[in-house]
Amino acid sequence: MVGYIVRRLLAAIPLVLGVATIVFFVVHLAPGDPASLYIAPGVSPEAVEQVRQNMGLDRPVYERYVRWMGAMLQGDFGVSFSRNQPVRDVIVQILPNTLLLSFSALILAFGAGILIGVVQAVRQNSFTDGALSVGSLFFYSMPSFWLALMLILVFSLYARNVWGWPIWFPASGMVSVDHHAMGAWEQVLDRARHLVLPAVSLALVLAAGVARYTRGSMLEVIRQDYIRTARAKGLPERTVIFKHALRNALIPVVTLLGLYLPVLFSGTVVIETVFAWPGMGKLMVDSIFQRDYPVVMAGALVFAVMVVLGNLMADLLYAAVDPRIRYE
Amino acid sequence: MRLPSSRIKALALAILGCGFLVACGDPDQRALRDMPVFCQEVLPAVEAHMERFDQPTGERYGGTAVVGGLGELTGGMNSLVTPEHMARQHQEFMNLMTLVQVDGELDYRPRLARDWEFDPEVGELTFHLRDDVFWHDGRPTTAHDVAFTYLRAADPSTGFFSMSSWEPYVGGADAVEVLDDHTVRFQVEPHAEPLEIWRLLAIMPRHLLEDVPPAELREHPYGTRCPVGNGPFVFQEHRPDASWSFVRNPAFPDELGGPPYLERYVYRIIPEQGTLLTELLTGSVDVYLAPNPDASSRIQEHDGARLLDFDFREYVAVVWNSRRPELQDPRVRRALTLGVNRQEIIDATLAGFGDVANAGVPPFHWAHHAGLADSLRHDPDEARRLLDEAGWMVRGADGIREDPEGRPLEITVSYNMGNQQRQDIAQIMQSQLAQIGVGVQPDGVEWGTFVGEMTSPDRRNFDGAVLSIITALHVSDYDQFHSTSVDQPMGLSGVVDEELDQLLDTLQVVVDREEAIPLWHRYQERVVALQPYTYFFFPRRLAGVSERLQGVEMDVRGDLMSVADWWIPAQERRRP
Repeated sequence: MVGYIVRRLLAAIPLVLGVATIVFFVVHLAPGDPASLYIAPGVSPEAVEQVRQNMGLDRPVYERYVRWMGAMLQGDFGVSFSRNQPVRDVIVQILPNTLLLSFSALILAFGAGILIGVVQAVRQNSFTDGALSVGSLFFYSMPSFWLALMLILVFSLYARNVWGWPIWFPASGMVSVDHHAMGAWEQVLDRARHLVLPAVSLALVLAAGVARYTRGSMLEVIRQDYIRTARAKGLPERTVIFKHALRNALIPVVTLLGLYLPVLFSGTVVIETVFAWPGMGKLMVDSIFQRDYPVVMAGALVFAVMVVLGNLMADLLYAAVDPRIRYE
Repeated sequence: MRLPSSRIKALALAILGCGFLVACGDPDQRALRDMPVFCQEVLPAVEAHMERFDQPTGERYGGTAVVGGLGELTGGMNSLVTPEHMARQHQEFMNLMTLVQVDGELDYRPRLARDWEFDPEVGELTFHLRDDVFWHDGRPTTAHDVAFTYLRAADPSTGFFSMSSWEPYVGGADAVEVLDDHTVRFQVEPHAEPLEIWRLLAIMPRHLLEDVPPAELREHPYGTRCPVGNGPFVFQEHRPDASWSFVRNPAFPDELGGPPYLERYVYRIIPEQGTLLTELLTGSVDVYLAPNPDASSRIQEHDGARLLDFDFREYVAVVWNSRRPELQDPRVRRALTLGVNRQEIIDATLAGFGDVANAGVPPFHWAHHAGLADSLRHDPDEARRLLDEAGWMVRGADGIREDPEGRPLEITVSYNMGNQQRQDIAQIMQSQLAQIGVGVQPDGVEWGTFVGEMTSPDRRNFDGAVLSIITALHVSDYDQFHSTSVDQPMGLSGVVDEELDQLLDTLQVVVDREEAIPLWHRYQERVVALQPYTYFFFPRRLAGVSERLQGVEMDVRGDLMSVADWWIPAQERRRP
């Protein structure tokens, strides 16, 4: 198993470097340059030219590529043009925020999706199945920004101002402004409250997909002979479904994990903007608009690594859910 | 008692989850761990210095105000490298100090400089500084800091955004002389506004930045990780893309207003307008800076908030590229302006919060020419007449005018994609100019590309482009309309005119306002005649303010001009 993981990781290196190279040239060959964003009335052309030089943009593209690749291989991603900070520092500060949001959404999406799928399969063709199918399709087809704004409207604005609910959720940010003055337990709750709406917005769309897959997979499995045998042995229905059927039904669902990671990371772009969540998605979009080449390239690299690791994790999970699969 | 293994697993998962929530993304812990060495040295010094002072007491002292804005304070508190509007406001009114400030009449008033002398005959500008202003780490702010700031800003390697401001400063580094710790003198050629740059440029601490090479100032941690200012608020924390926090400076001199009432000020970055509005309406932010005009009615209707609208230094215009054959003739450009109902555009896109513009001098400014109001009123008949006169006639059935060679009068109006207001303007123009026989094709272009295509002197790839320009309080169109700027980035329109050149040259050096006013009026008349731009409007700046926040005044000087006087009644305060 360890050998397999090492081989996969080694094979990923050229892939990641290839992604980095393509992103480098795509970004640098796009029209416009970061220094031109400094142009405004009263800003002298000499100052803009100096900024261009300070950013190293006066050098040919191939030279910039060689320098960047050399520095990147030594762990130096350069300095962000728009944030005036080393890119490494920016990413170190912001990546954990995206990981927190993404993995919370992932857990929520798979937890809820699998549960809904199982209920639908067990109660196939019932009213519950129909209602959950309609609900799943509704969320599956909704644009995430609309969903996010609706959640804010209902669970933040109306819940607090109009209906006076005892529980409402903050519309933006990771923590309250008085977070530092809270006790430890209060801080955990504060962070969790801020996480609810963005994580749910991200998870709902994914959960709908997971539910559809789980339902289909479960329907196949529960018609198998060994399920009938398990029931004939007199096992409780709960044990039959969750212990015997679900584990086998999960094998195709695990495939989704690898497929959903890129979807999840692209989804964070919109969700992080709507909820003012300071994460990688928003960082990447801002950086693309500001032509902040070092951040765009480092961010693309980070996303590529995360997708590679996510896919590896999905492959390893196959082995966990299906004892027939062994990696040598 | 022995717990079943499933419960142990559940308990372990719950603990892990809580730990995940606390540790993953805990900016406080990360900040301590990852601070650059520079910050590890300066921040404890600031903390130690501030602990020496008692906090002021009184009914109004205390509380945290939260201000919500759409974007980061790019460049942070480093006044030498950032041209960004909100960052500069935080420097000017909160964390740093400028030598001078302006009052409501735009007359210069003392700030860090107690007073000054300007002798235009000799060309000497001498500032006498206050001796009671200290950097937040305890070091006094002196004339050496002023000289250092000037020398760094005037050094081309720094990339200071307003290098042209130093053109009247004679001799580069030789232009400055420190006479004593609190007196500094500059050699300046005759100039209309020698003080303006000292209102814009906040003074920086020499003792912290002297050893930093100018070209490295932009990326130095001072700006975004650990600024040490001398203003009424002390930097507390910056969470990238999330917030900036400042706390009261208890040692701020009484003569300058004393310590601010607020104990803490937080600027939160909330990039989505709808979310920001929700945060104001739910009381999570106290000030919503620059809301869209379409949010104004929601704010006005809400019991817990009020809407402020005030003059701003921005105008929105379409720049005409006179290098294009169909836009060379001033009569055509004038017809395009007369064919557009600008008041209708203000009503449609700004909910009425704006004033029609005819030239770039805003209505609040002493040089504004109010007599131009009628000269460009919507008049489609006059527009048609001018186009006929210029040789553009309707010859075909499609109603689009053509020149004698049969080339149609069709122009593209570009705007940066995603800017709804500019898109609306381009589309309204398309509909209104069709009525005078001009074909307009709106074209949304990605921002970086938009700027590059317009400002690159060897491209200028546009016919007309909708843009907004924020002027300085000292209005100068020199880099837009002087013939020497035609091949510079801001020489967008390419219009060259001898009289404009003479007026721009003269206005640069006339110090007396009474003498300058007729020149300014003639200048604006000439701009109206040449129509390098179709000026649409001066939008009024808006702010949604929570009712609990008192003492808030905003005007053309800035959203944060009164921040040191903001206060919150005790019963309505958050935890500090």
